[in-house]
Amino acid sequence: MECRALDSMRDEAHWHELQRLFDLCIELPEGDRLAALTRECTDTALRERVLALLAASATIESAANCAAPQAFIGPYRIVREVGAGGLGVVYLVERLADGVRLRFALKLLAPVAADEAFMERFRREERTLAALEHPNITRLLDAGWSVDGRPYLVMEFVDGVQLDVFCDAATMSVARRLELFLQICDAVSYAHRNLILHLDLKPSNVLVSATGIVKLLDFGTSKFIHPNLEATIATAATPAYASPEQCLGLTVSTASDVFGLGAILFALLSGRRPFGDSSLVARIETATRALDPQSLRGSVTPAAAAARGLSEARLRQLLGGDLNAIVGKCLRHRPEDRYASVDALADEIRRYLNCEPVRARRQTWRYRSAKFLRRHRLGLAIGSVVLSAIVLSAAYAWSQQQRALREAERSVRMQTYMNRLFKMANPEYTGKPVATVPDFLRVGIAKLPDYIHDPADLRAGELALAESMMDSGSLDDALAAFANIKDSASRAGASADFTEAEIFMGQILCQQGHLPEGRKLLADALASSKGHDMPWRLRVLAQVYYAFNEDNNGFRTDSTLALLRAAARQAEEHDLAPRDVALALYYLGMDLQLRGLDTDAKPIFERLLTLYGDDPLALCDRSAVNGWIAWIDLTNGDAAGSLPIFKESYEGFIACEGPDSPGALDQLPYWAHALTLLSRADEAVQLLENAMPTWRRVVGGSTDNSDMLMELARAYLATHRYQDAETAARELLTLLSGKVAERDRTIGMAHLVFAEALAGQNRNREALPHVDTAVSILIPTAVSAYAKAFSQEALSLQSRLHEADVPAPTKLR
Amino acid sequence: MDPLFNLVYPRLREIAGSLFRRESAASLLQPTGVVSELFLKLVTQHSLQFENREHFFSLAATLMRRILVDHARAARSDKRDGGVRVALDDDLMWITTMPSVDVLDIDRALVELEQLDARKCRLVELRFFLGTTSEEAAEILHTSKATVDRELRFARGWLYDRLQMSDGMPGTRLDAR
Repeated sequence: MECRALDSMRDEAHWHELQRLFDLCIELPEGDRLAALTRECTDTALRERVLALLAASATIESAANCAAPQAFIGPYRIVREVGAGGLGVVYLVERLADGVRLRFALKLLAPVAADEAFMERFRREERTLAALEHPNITRLLDAGWSVDGRPYLVMEFVDGVQLDVFCDAATMSVARRLELFLQICDAVSYAHRNLILHLDLKPSNVLVSATGIVKLLDFGTSKFIHPNLEATIATAATPAYASPEQCLGLTVSTASDVFGLGAILFALLSGRRPFGDSSLVARIETATRALDPQSLRGSVTPAAAAARGLSEARLRQLLGGDLNAIVGKCLRHRPEDRYASVDALADEIRRYLNCEPVRARRQTWRYRSAKFLRRHRLGLAIGSVVLSAIVLSAAYAWSQQQRALREAERSVRMQTYMNRLFKMANPEYTGKPVATVPDFLRVGIAKLPDYIHDPADLRAGELALAESMMDSGSLDDALAAFANIKDSASRAGASADFTEAEIFMGQILCQQGHLPEGRKLLADALASSKGHDMPWRLRVLAQVYYAFNEDNNGFRTDSTLALLRAAARQAEEHDLAPRDVALALYYLGMDLQLRGLDTDAKPIFERLLTLYGDDPLALCDRSAVNGWIAWIDLTNGDAAGSLPIFKESYEGFIACEGPDSPGALDQLPYWAHALTLLSRADEAVQLLENAMPTWRRVVGGSTDNSDMLMELARAYLATHRYQDAETAARELLTLLSGKVAERDRTIGMAHLVFAEALAGQNRNREALPHVDTAVSILIPTAVSAYAKAFSQEALSLQSRLHEADVPAPTKLR
Repeated sequence: MDPLFNLVYPRLREIAGSLFRRESAASLLQPTGVVSELFLKLVTQHSLQFENREHFFSLAATLMRRILVDHARAARSDKRDGGVRVALDDDLMWITTMPSVDVLDIDRALVELEQLDARKCRLVELRFFLGTTSEEAAEILHTSKATVDRELRFARGWLYDRLQMSDGMPGTRLDAR
């Protein structure tokens, strides 16, 4: 023994050699160590020392690896460990109660977390905590001491996956992540209203169940931690997510939870923790220096981008603007610089989400309407005076090229061509009718080189015709024509024609869903449209289409809105053709409306109406714009005001598109919705019932405008015609089944109306599974106030049905 | 000695005293919890100004070790329950498998280690008393994480070997007076 004590003293003599040999051996398999030692070292005593240290090291490793598992904690049998962190380890446990095996989550805390008054505090707070009734909060049920003197807490067990793991596994988009995050905000806000802080918000405390419901764990735990021991609050929290005031033991408040939410959001969006994997002391140190975390945008990794279904650059772009600001505001060092409340944070996220391009089905018709803007200049002609209108339209397009056609000779050639086209379009002349717009345009573009010989003029003519092809919906023909023009312009170095072709090719490709190529072309076109001699029309078109397609395929950013505003202003300032001014204004208005900036959008739409005036060619456009205005009024609480506008829009579409007008049908569900809101549900029923045969014929079993059925069912419900409502809801479910994503909001809505129809007939048991499905879909996807209203409706029906039909679940005490 | 140390230490002992009294029921301390408690008081109540990060961490580590030792010494002279046990970081869990090893033994062993290799002693303080991560310790000591991990593995083995001699062998207890 004396010897061994002396050994360590003697280590000084060959300390470095000792470490060298130790490092060498520890990397080797155990069997090879002795041989290596003998080879490397002749000193027997030193070899013995190395072996002793290696043995010590091995003991440590094995001690660390086998922490003896207990079978029971209190009356709870441990099933398995489900997580560790902060101050404790979480187990899945079981307990038999009246012969029933119940499962719970048990959190075993470190001894330092509690004092003698732990149970006393639990009893005192129990009532408050039991009163926390929220679908996203797991309740604390029991507390106690383990035999080895460690305090534990028992809560509801959630069979779920940790938030970040869940999101990454589902390659969830940023938007979906934000929607889940809103559920967390909701739960925290609810707890705050009940005067409970969480103080340990982090992704591992948020589970997502298989049905997509978020569950927050550990609410109330902070109440049992040493009340006087400031730092244990921080200790209990995970340092990486704890707020500066927690790290510094200063007063905590709701702002501390805002910080925690910001930290979760940071991780959820970027895949990293705001302060990396900091230890508590390191966090204290950063907190003393009032350092803010690194920027959200700078934390993006390729892996995180892949888990969000985006490229790294795209994710960085997404996280650069508003989201960076939102997260940054949550994570400010001074509590008073953060959001004043969780609700304020949630509102900001909702506003952000509402700016997102059309996700909700309810908005699809408006996007479709946007296309009328281009299409129905020609569409008007299809019905009756086909040919003359086509030529009018073509002539109108030509007029825009006039600047390129100054020379008389050109004009004469153009005139000849136009006359020729007139003749070709005349069935009496050709003997064979050119029946459709696409046919006409195909012939026109094929014959053009016969009449126009100057390459620049030819391109100008082809551009106008190709654009008309695009407007008439012949996208493939138009794309091929533009590609030809682009090649010819490239050879001739005609940059304006080249850019124009690029703009329209980009727009067509995007419309066809070839986003990467389309957006690249538009980005290039936008860049080249800034060139010196570029006509204003091209600048405006490039900005509008670029911004629109960026917005349509990602989040709307301030810069794309700025582009749309600039385009609208330039179009008016530089006296572009009314059609181009209208285009710029229309996209701007639509963009503003989708961003929730209704008050900005409405005047733009009203300006458009002035611009269209009584122009019969603009009837479809005017109707689409009226549809938007009515929608804005309806969603802003003016159902009565929206009624005449919906009517005007509807009748306008019928007049320009004919009785089967999809645009007209698009107005009906919302018009009916307004009527139902105004307690005129019987009129809504009549309106929709009359249109159902047309709708069925036009959509032919597709899910287009399935809101017709939805609103019909709702109108039936409002008039207490539950059997009819059931039939309509059943038809809706059948229609949607397999055609839209299983968890699409429309499915959730359909289940809700179905459940309501059944409940109205006192068939509660049948209604239950449907309302459960509705809740599980609607709650996580509710973003707007409009959508939230339906979530609430589903929730209250659910609790009503459960109360009425099923005995309350036994509570364990 | 760091002038800040003298400024802060008396106050720190006071805080630690009340903290440890509350802990007595559990007789197992968690230094990372204690250190934050102490530190935030220091930092916030005394508005301490640190020259740089290294300064902050080295002062924190020294204070932490000192306060634990002083407390253990006081506890032992009270003959309360045979010393204060420390539930250190997971990396030091093995200490709890040595029933008669306490903070004083660790401190003695660290004194020896410091004489042999001051840097390894700093490292042990940072990792096990302050609970910093390897990355942070590497940054503070201006070295790489790999070096930190390697040196720690050695230091840990050495400490265990050293403590084994105290454990279960009362005759050789270093602190036997």
